[in-house]
Amino acid sequence: MSYTHKYRRDDDCKVDENRNKGSLRWSHCRKRGADGSVRGPQREAESTQSSSKREHRPQRPESFTTPESEGPVSRIRNWGDEVEADEMRTSVRRDMQRYRRRILAGEFVQRERKTSSGSSDSRDSRDSPAPGDIETDETVLMRRQKQINYGKNTLAYDRYIKEVPKHLRKPGIHPRTPNKFKKYSRRSWDQQIKLWKVKLHAWDPPAEEGSDLQAVEDFDFDMECSVDPEIELQYPKSTSASSSLPQDSCTGTPSKMMKLDELEIA
Amino acid sequence: MDHIWEECKIQAFDSETQNLIKAALKDSSAVDLEKLSEAIVDQSLKDRSLCRDAGHICYALVQTEAKHSNTNVFRRNLLTRLQKEFVEREETRKRSVQEWVCVVSFICNIFDYLKVNNTPMTALVDPVYDCLFRLSQPDALLNEEEVDCLALQLHRVGEQLEKMNAQRMDQLFYLLRDGFLLQDNLSSMTRLLLLEVLEFRASGWTLSAAAQRYYYSEVVD
Repeated sequence: MSYTHKYRRDDDCKVDENRNKGSLRWSHCRKRGADGSVRGPQREAESTQSSSKREHRPQRPESFTTPESEGPVSRIRNWGDEVEADEMRTSVRRDMQRYRRRILAGEFVQRERKTSSGSSDSRDSRDSPAPGDIETDETVLMRRQKQINYGKNTLAYDRYIKEVPKHLRKPGIHPRTPNKFKKYSRRSWDQQIKLWKVKLHAWDPPAEEGSDLQAVEDFDFDMECSVDPEIELQYPKSTSASSSLPQDSCTGTPSKMMKLDELEIA
Repeated sequence: MDHIWEECKIQAFDSETQNLIKAALKDSSAVDLEKLSEAIVDQSLKDRSLCRDAGHICYALVQTEAKHSNTNVFRRNLLTRLQKEFVEREETRKRSVQEWVCVVSFICNIFDYLKVNNTPMTALVDPVYDCLFRLSQPDALLNEEEVDCLALQLHRVGEQLEKMNAQRMDQLFYLLRDGFLLQDNLSSMTRLLLLEVLEFRASGWTLSAAAQRYYYSEVVD
């Protein structure tokens, strides 16, 4: 069970010129793939082929020279990175098995299409795909999982899941993690992720003590309204707050309310 | 994970490290995990019993940190340090065979304990093999210390290693067999250890009752 990253051995490495050039050409602008290797267009084409090919891929050269470096730079494979990639890979595989079982068990019920204003998914997100029709490409799944992890490693997400248990979620209002096993185009997926993360911001923690609250207290509110306790409740829901600001608090001071809005977003 | 330190042999660590470990197991954010991992590695590599058993504590610390703050600082640091020791192993061996043996024991112990989603870390498979191959070289087979280490590691992690890369295990055993049969200057203890390991693997990584009696009847616990 040797994976793509064989650790450097004392055996010979075959120098594969084309591959080396490919990864060099793109090494400036392409991110590293989930397995730590620098991604280039060649690799993406290769990755759609069967994974068994990976095991027979010749060893990548141990050093290369880029225009910026003064000499050969060794390809550093870091155990820490490799193990983390390993971990993500095994998690993704385990998720896939679980998902397959759930589809086969018919757990996903076809619900009626409701007009959901917040749905970022043009395909009905509640239909379950056929078991053969799920995304299985590991590179894609790893990339998607990484994006999901970025969103889940936030305070906003922590607060969200504490506040709203799964069974109480309302579609449209409560953000839903995009399903990495469904077939989507790259653009569609990236957009879903973006929208999901924006929605999660609604659960951002309140502004730190001192800074923003201070500024609010210094506000010269219109004489007609005293410091409205309701205003402090606005903070947890920041970006989507514009429509939900209380109409009745301070009249005649739309510019100041705008400032409040800006502060919340800050 | 109450009082896991009672199960593991943390008394071999110095008292400052022991306290850090206990504190980290209660609350991983209260401790500088980078410093702790350095301390654990430093001390383990100098202590014959620690290097064989520190894996258990390391695993506990990794789990605690993951559960508590969903980060991997300790593990990452540990692995980076281990990688450094691995890369420098030949110099270490020249300097001190004892230290080199500790490095091998420690890496194998980590391989044994630090599992990722219940599987051993793939990244360590080849490094562990590299170490065992080194221990099977003719010059190493002359040192009983190194042979003893080799035998111990094969007992502990041989089966898992074989599952992850059977081909290299085969190659390793060719070396061992050759060493046993062809090398003249091996001590009788070395021969015994090698023979036992050969038989151990041949019977599926387990020792039959007869073999147990044969090899260990003379051994005083």
